[in-house]
Amino acid sequence: MRNFLVARLMQAGIVAMVVGALCFLLMRVLPGDAAMRIAAGRYGPDARIAEAADKVRLELGLDRPVLLQFLEWLGGLLRLDLGHSLVTGAPVVDELQVQLGASVWLAASALLISLLIGPVIGIFSGLKPGGIADRTGLVGAVVFRAIPPFVLGLMLMLILSKQLGWLPPAGFGSPREILLPALTLALGLAAMSSRVTRNAVAAVAKTPYFAFARHKGLPEAIVVRRHGIRNAAIPVVSYLGLQAIYLVEGVVVVESLFAYPGIGHALVHAIVERDIPMVQGTALVMGLMFVAIAALVDAISLWLDPRFGRAA
Amino acid sequence: MSTIDNVSLARGRARLSGSRAFGAALLLLLGAFALIGPVIVPTDPAAQDFGASLAPIGGDYALGADHYGRSLLARLAHGARLSFGLAFLTMLAAAVPGVLLGLAAAWRGGGTERLLELLATVVLALPGLMLVLLLLAFSPGNYGPLFLGLSLTLWVEFYRVTRATTKTVLAQPHIEAARMLGFGSGYILRNYVVPVIAPMIATLTAFAMATAIIAVSTLSAISVGLQPPTPELGSIIVELLPYYAEAPLHVLLPALLIFLLVLGLQLVADGDRA
Amino acid sequence: MLRALFITFALGLAVTNNSAHAQVLKVAGPWEVTGIDPAQTGYVFSRLQVAETLVTADPEGKLIPALAERWSVSDDALTWRFTLRDEARFHDGTPVTAQAAAASLKRALSGVGVLSQVPIADIVSEGRDVVLRLEKPFSALPAYLVHFSTIILAPSSFDASGKVKQIVGSGPYKVASLTPPAKLELKDSGTWWGGKPSIAEVSYLAVGQGETRALMAESGEADLVFSMLPVSVDRLKENPRLDVKIATIPRTRILKVNAASVFFDDVEERQALSHAIDRVGITKVILRNPELAATQIFPPALKGWYASDLQPLGRDVARAKELLTEAGWTPGSDGILEQDGKRFSVTLLTYSSWPELPPIATALQAQLREVGIEIKVSVGNSSEIPARHGDGTLEIGLVSRLYSIVPDPVGTLLQDYGPGGSDWGAMGWDNQEIQGLVAKLAVTTNPTERAPLQRRAVEILQQELPSIPVTWSELAIVSSKRITGVQVDPLEVNYGLAAIRWAK
Repeated sequence: MRNFLVARLMQAGIVAMVVGALCFLLMRVLPGDAAMRIAAGRYGPDARIAEAADKVRLELGLDRPVLLQFLEWLGGLLRLDLGHSLVTGAPVVDELQVQLGASVWLAASALLISLLIGPVIGIFSGLKPGGIADRTGLVGAVVFRAIPPFVLGLMLMLILSKQLGWLPPAGFGSPREILLPALTLALGLAAMSSRVTRNAVAAVAKTPYFAFARHKGLPEAIVVRRHGIRNAAIPVVSYLGLQAIYLVEGVVVVESLFAYPGIGHALVHAIVERDIPMVQGTALVMGLMFVAIAALVDAISLWLDPRFGRAA
Repeated sequence: MSTIDNVSLARGRARLSGSRAFGAALLLLLGAFALIGPVIVPTDPAAQDFGASLAPIGGDYALGADHYGRSLLARLAHGARLSFGLAFLTMLAAAVPGVLLGLAAAWRGGGTERLLELLATVVLALPGLMLVLLLLAFSPGNYGPLFLGLSLTLWVEFYRVTRATTKTVLAQPHIEAARMLGFGSGYILRNYVVPVIAPMIATLTAFAMATAIIAVSTLSAISVGLQPPTPELGSIIVELLPYYAEAPLHVLLPALLIFLLVLGLQLVADGDRA
Repeated sequence: MLRALFITFALGLAVTNNSAHAQVLKVAGPWEVTGIDPAQTGYVFSRLQVAETLVTADPEGKLIPALAERWSVSDDALTWRFTLRDEARFHDGTPVTAQAAAASLKRALSGVGVLSQVPIADIVSEGRDVVLRLEKPFSALPAYLVHFSTIILAPSSFDASGKVKQIVGSGPYKVASLTPPAKLELKDSGTWWGGKPSIAEVSYLAVGQGETRALMAESGEADLVFSMLPVSVDRLKENPRLDVKIATIPRTRILKVNAASVFFDDVEERQALSHAIDRVGITKVILRNPELAATQIFPPALKGWYASDLQPLGRDVARAKELLTEAGWTPGSDGILEQDGKRFSVTLLTYSSWPELPPIATALQAQLREVGIEIKVSVGNSSEIPARHGDGTLEIGLVSRLYSIVPDPVGTLLQDYGPGGSDWGAMGWDNQEIQGLVAKLAVTTNPTERAPLQRRAVEILQQELPSIPVTWSELAIVSSKRITGVQVDPLEVNYGLAAIRWAK
């Protein structure tokens, strides 16, 4: 167990370094004048951007050597200081707290809702491949996968907000406001996880030990619980880990549709406006989160199937 | 070409079951629409006619017209060709290295696996959206960086699922025994590993193509996708979205095409179990 | 897990039922609060009446007192004196002093706001007066003091280094909480010189997506929603629970052309471009209001700047082709014009900060193709227009230009059509006469003296077309019938929330 932790911590360190350096490099080699982008981000399209950009260049010292700037960022990082956003002027840590925090809540809610839908449908579908549950599940999954999230979100808004008046179409801060965006994301996620689960369950259901358990005359529910879920869970957990990762960043359109102040939205703005500390800080924190999620997934896989750890 | 390859691949394995045949037929039809559609529909997908703005389906325009009065039939045909083609290439560029590296990691273990795991973690840790946006910043509105960025983020999915599943398979006692008895790698791969991972990869493949199309549409929605007037299924949806109240069916038409594609792929992928 | 979710859901529903009776005025608009420096988002605080400027403007654009109850200028036109209201208080209870006002203005002067364009020599305080000394006469000065970057903030708004750490203004509402970038909650400040606002609490939510804003109004989740998408306006008008108000705003979408490039250096070429555009079609289909087709640069609402007797700009494809032939362009084998082996193929740069720009660009692309001009549309970031103006690589850009940055359009014209042009104005086009006219307008206050100068400036722009007007703009505001007293401010200086009341 201790080895596992040490290895993970080392991995986290390496990932942080690589991600930080890569972001810095990429942001630096992007074409176009960063000061112009920052000025436009700060003062909006009606402002006199060219003049503002001159002031920005002076203020931020963007002309200094790139290596020096990178070292400064690293130095700040060692003091746990991610710097200030070039656009809003607020500390990156504060912005991340609000926006990444909001996204994590959204992602967690979406994942939770999708877990209530996806794997359940998947298990029913997988136990009788080709049955009605399987066919309905397939069509449902494909429908929710084929509709872009912003269209799905708009449809849900039309039904749940405009027609029924149950939920607000936008906003944040209370559980009521998170439900609609979370449901939008959850339906797309459930589409995927239901199929992955279905295949995993179907594969397990075909194996000799599962068939044997059935022949022993054990009730279906016990067979599934004792032999099915555990074995089918590994690819599902591995897949869910991935989904959790995609969720935090892949929600940008859902966030802007529902006026939810998440990190996807912030990251797009930061990249477009060349807000380098913000991009680096976001990438770094998200990178570390990914490492944590990956570690969690591996730990769960290990617990589900101890043989799994032998080569890890 | 996308669809035809898939069909022939799938056909090699088993007798056509009902739903698999249906899926294959669906893919053939979509393939024909994407390949031949643009040739036989003579209308220019960029030609505008403000008089026909949002023309209804089934009138002068077979599938209606968008707000600029552009023929939706022509735009969907061209859009299908571009979107399906792009999605297929992206999927291929993600699936092939993903599966191979996943197999390699599970099979070899040790240093190879640790190295690949680190690589996958780093790629995963870089927000995929950021990767695509940064690559797009180098040449905005082009297919190249879009395609590259999507493949770079999607391969990890194939890699991780392949590795995880393969490891479970290899860890089963009878397969460990087979390995120790000296059965060749090829034999074990063919008889034990492939049958388990193939359906999963097939499912992932079908969904990865959908993901690629949806990702491009997402990028259009934040105005960093392909440039107008390129007909691409996702951007057709984005362009028509503001008109959802007046022409809801128009908005859903491109989504219907994506739906049929994913459904066809799924039926072909899952057909042997149905 | 399941139970937690149901509880959440049930809670959500419970909150919904209560909120219908809450007495908070819910406002939604497209603008986010990115940073609180006045030069950045001062407009949010000005529009929502948190902070005030010395001078403000009525809906017709006439300058009226705000924090300064009166102002005067010395005979040599070099010293301006603004006398503050005695009763004005900041939200922290301190009086609005001339020192505080002068400090805010000095800060604005050294920043990137509009004030840096005024030839100011010095800003000082004398008793209740803020005194601005100029290097040379500049009659439009009071108009510049309407701009949101010149809002007056209390000394407690700034930290030791002079950075804004909070907004302590003097308006009817004070900031109760701010969650950048999306949410701002306000409450009655209790200190406003203008009296007590009827509604004590206001909550503002930034909603970027136009479709969502419409649904906020339709679902009753917002009482007052700004900037509706043109496509949703008709639908909202039919809703019995909503009121829609529309005002033409002094904002014009123009084609900024590089008059130094081989494509647009002849006036015939620019006129041909103008003739090739189907403005009525664009406004009908995309903006849903054919009245917005820009027949000249300024809309009729801009009194004194709109000349009703000018030959209107309009579509004439045959004339466009003729003019292009005169300018030496002949159709090539694929229908695209050529001259000395050079194809008439240009990149049109636009940006998506205004959601209607890319669709208009797409329409223009097809229309210009009809006269043999190939347009490649590139949708980028708004900064690319000034950047490529700067390095001279811009060929043609579709931009949305505001002429009421200060209530006097001269302010914008000074920038746009001065020597060498500017970011959002002319490019590669130098016209001595208009430069002279605008300079003269900047020092003239008398309306009768100004009228012929304004008229001539507009005439030159119409004839020379250094930038080609495409459409005018309007601002649509939706309010719920639960409230009354909503007014549309075409200059978007102040949304008059304090005057809004609950309907019964």
